[in-house]
Amino acid sequence: MASTDADYAVWLRGIEKRFPGVIACAGADLRVRPGTIHALLGENGAGKTTMVSVLSGVYRPDGGEVWVNGQRRFFQSPADAIAAGVGMVYQEFRLVPTLTVAENIVLGAAPGLLRSAEIEERVAELSAAYGMAADPTRPVWQLSMGERQRVEILKALWRNASVLVMDEPTAVLTPGEAAELGLTLKAMAEDGRSIIYISHKLDQVVAFCDEATVLRQGKTVATVDNLDDVDLSSLAEMMVGSSGGGYVQRPPALEAGPEVLALQGISALNDRGLPALADINMTVHSGEIVGIVGVSGNGQKELAEVVTGLRRPSQGRVTFKEQDVTEASPADRYRLGLAYVPEDRIGVGLAPKMSVVDNAVVRSYRSQRRGLMLVMAKCVQFCQDLVERFGVRAGRLHDPVAGLSGGNLQRLLLGRELAEQPAVLVAAQPTRGLDVQGVAAIQSHLADQRADGVGILLISEDLDELLALSDRLLVMFEGRVVAEYGPDVTPRTVIGEAMAGQVRA
Amino acid sequence: MIRPVLARRERVVPATQAAGFVLGVVVALILGAILLWVSDHSPAEVYERMFDSAFKGTDSLSRTLERATPLALTGLSVAVAGSMGLWNIGAEGQMMAGAIVATGVAMIADGLSGPLLIALMMASGVVGGMALMIGPALARSHLRVSEIITTLMLVYVAIRVVEWLETGPWKDPESFGFAVIEPVPEQAALPGLFGRANIGMLIALGLLLVFWLAVSRTAWGYELRLAGSSPDTARYAGVSLRRKVLTALLLSGGIAGLAGAVQLTGSAVRLESGLSNGYGFAGIIVAALALMRPSGVAVVAFVFGAVQVGGQSIQTLGVSSAIADILQAMILFGALVAVVFFNYRIQWSGPGGESSIAESGEPDLAGEVA
Repeated sequence: MASTDADYAVWLRGIEKRFPGVIACAGADLRVRPGTIHALLGENGAGKTTMVSVLSGVYRPDGGEVWVNGQRRFFQSPADAIAAGVGMVYQEFRLVPTLTVAENIVLGAAPGLLRSAEIEERVAELSAAYGMAADPTRPVWQLSMGERQRVEILKALWRNASVLVMDEPTAVLTPGEAAELGLTLKAMAEDGRSIIYISHKLDQVVAFCDEATVLRQGKTVATVDNLDDVDLSSLAEMMVGSSGGGYVQRPPALEAGPEVLALQGISALNDRGLPALADINMTVHSGEIVGIVGVSGNGQKELAEVVTGLRRPSQGRVTFKEQDVTEASPADRYRLGLAYVPEDRIGVGLAPKMSVVDNAVVRSYRSQRRGLMLVMAKCVQFCQDLVERFGVRAGRLHDPVAGLSGGNLQRLLLGRELAEQPAVLVAAQPTRGLDVQGVAAIQSHLADQRADGVGILLISEDLDELLALSDRLLVMFEGRVVAEYGPDVTPRTVIGEAMAGQVRA
Repeated sequence: MIRPVLARRERVVPATQAAGFVLGVVVALILGAILLWVSDHSPAEVYERMFDSAFKGTDSLSRTLERATPLALTGLSVAVAGSMGLWNIGAEGQMMAGAIVATGVAMIADGLSGPLLIALMMASGVVGGMALMIGPALARSHLRVSEIITTLMLVYVAIRVVEWLETGPWKDPESFGFAVIEPVPEQAALPGLFGRANIGMLIALGLLLVFWLAVSRTAWGYELRLAGSSPDTARYAGVSLRRKVLTALLLSGGIAGLAGAVQLTGSAVRLESGLSNGYGFAGIIVAALALMRPSGVAVVAFVFGAVQVGGQSIQTLGVSSAIADILQAMILFGALVAVVFFNYRIQWSGPGGESSIAESGEPDLAGEVA
């Protein structure tokens, strides 16, 4: 066995990792050959971050093996992983702004007593070796994002990293800087180092990387030994592809109801202030499920937030039941009948440390009041009804909600949003990370609501789910709706191409 | 290699908390006994004296309650901010600000009858504490300036203002040249209950009760808890975070200001720079030990008061004040360590993290089986 292990710079074997309520990795594999740039692909929540956190010693796996350069490793901390040659460059840089480039690089790894001139010289040599221009004497706060990233890479190289993990490295870079990064990574690979490259930007993945591993729902679903052999759209399809995720047969098409939700010319910025949505026009009718598909990071999250009022559009109008709600708050929209199951169940949809009861009344506590007092008996009754109606296995209702399993959390959340008969439900990734029963339960609730005349905007990364449930399917790419498909079965490859921005006329 | 790791408890039950608390104090007492023994004191004798002076007889008990009163109020002040995830480090200064305004009002309205004057002084104490908090509260809610820094810095401002009033505008002309402010009017002294305990204790208890009800039983308290524990959920539910931050901090300041007024009319004779006596800072420890809960604040303030009274009394046995201070600190430290174990437990991890399989599988199982 040892002979084959030694062939890989990194071998993560059957990694399992569970968190309260979520299975992040369910036996995922990752093999990286030395001297290659390896793309780790997958939608949000597919388990990429968990895999690299296991590799870099941040998490200890519940099961599986970690092999680095032919040796089995049991990392107890990031320091252990660094000592074994695994370097990590996070999306958010971890630098001390007031210290110089050289000081940041040697911080925590200074080779005894060295004069700073000597350190600066060695840092300069290191950066020259891979064509990374970086003045070692400059304080970090003066540097651009691209330069800061170089400092992070140099930090890893200084610690003799033979494996470098880069999480969404180009998210903060200008196109020019991204191209330079590509050259640097290639030079390092030629030098025998391995790079694990996590990104959603498939065009860059194809340009930079040699091989790829695709994760979906905590499992490895595809490995590509030579990226030259595949095209963009088949990669996109692999990422969202078949999970056997549609458990519910789409009910027969209903008579199209009245229009309940309309977006007109909506544009919006993301959290970084960059354009995320551009001129979106769409409608949702009563009794209809409109599916939104796309590689994540193409504006789906921002779309859900604009519709539900958590994000202000920079342009355009949101109309709900023929009423302009562009300026209305999330709570006002809910009162009008716009319910929302957010992508972040825990932290946005639910307050994890508060009790099941407290979480059940997040939307309705205002109607459980008598004078100033919140009538506990009414709250408990409301919660009890939800738990029974939606089959939530909730244990003790006064315990923190974080103790529930993922499926039960989502049943509670969905139940709460549906409790007061909304006209429109926006559901973002409602089945992500759930077990089979959980997925089936949530999907059948969605189908039932459609039959009851609720208009549903379903944002999902599971193409099977969308194909099974949606009356109409809209494809998002770079903040725009680039294609729309009707209820007839559309070939997956066509949808895959649209997701990669290649729309067939 | 096997290393201890702190793992978060899935459920914190009150019984664990009580047991942890007692255990922490007992361990501290044992360590303290060693300290006393090496410094040539009989631990048994010292502990007996500590216990008796804090609890035995109404007089002892009243001393403990007298100490516990301002601690309960400042502890509540810190806890109100703490329930929103905010830290009011400046209760010490807000106490002073409350006492300053209350003294000023008493100087103007000294003709009023006792109850009326007391009520007026309490209200002005609240106003004073809030006034000192307005800056930090607005800076925090609108500009996200850390309230930890701003509240702390204003402590020293408030104390210097008192020193200035003592030597300048409010210097008592009948004080034979001493830099003191004139005593508060006699009728403003808080009515006593028994021994040294006065109705300030009932004010503190009442306020704790009101806040416990407000936080756990009102819609306002629900919003406060929601905003404190999960800000994004609160926004989603339509709660204005900005307004919640503002109210929590202003209330926190107001309660600390009230503590100043209670101290002024209850135990002190006059406004002086030593009036706050560290109660504001001690309130941070009280609130932290009480896990920011009003019910906990009452218990912890009482224990803290007893430790202070006991620590003072043993000096009459020849125990040096330094040893007495160390002993007090050890008991509080023991309790603080115990608080860590309320929320975490030690887990011995071996290679590969085998032990953590059962660990993280637990909540899933619990959810599915229950």
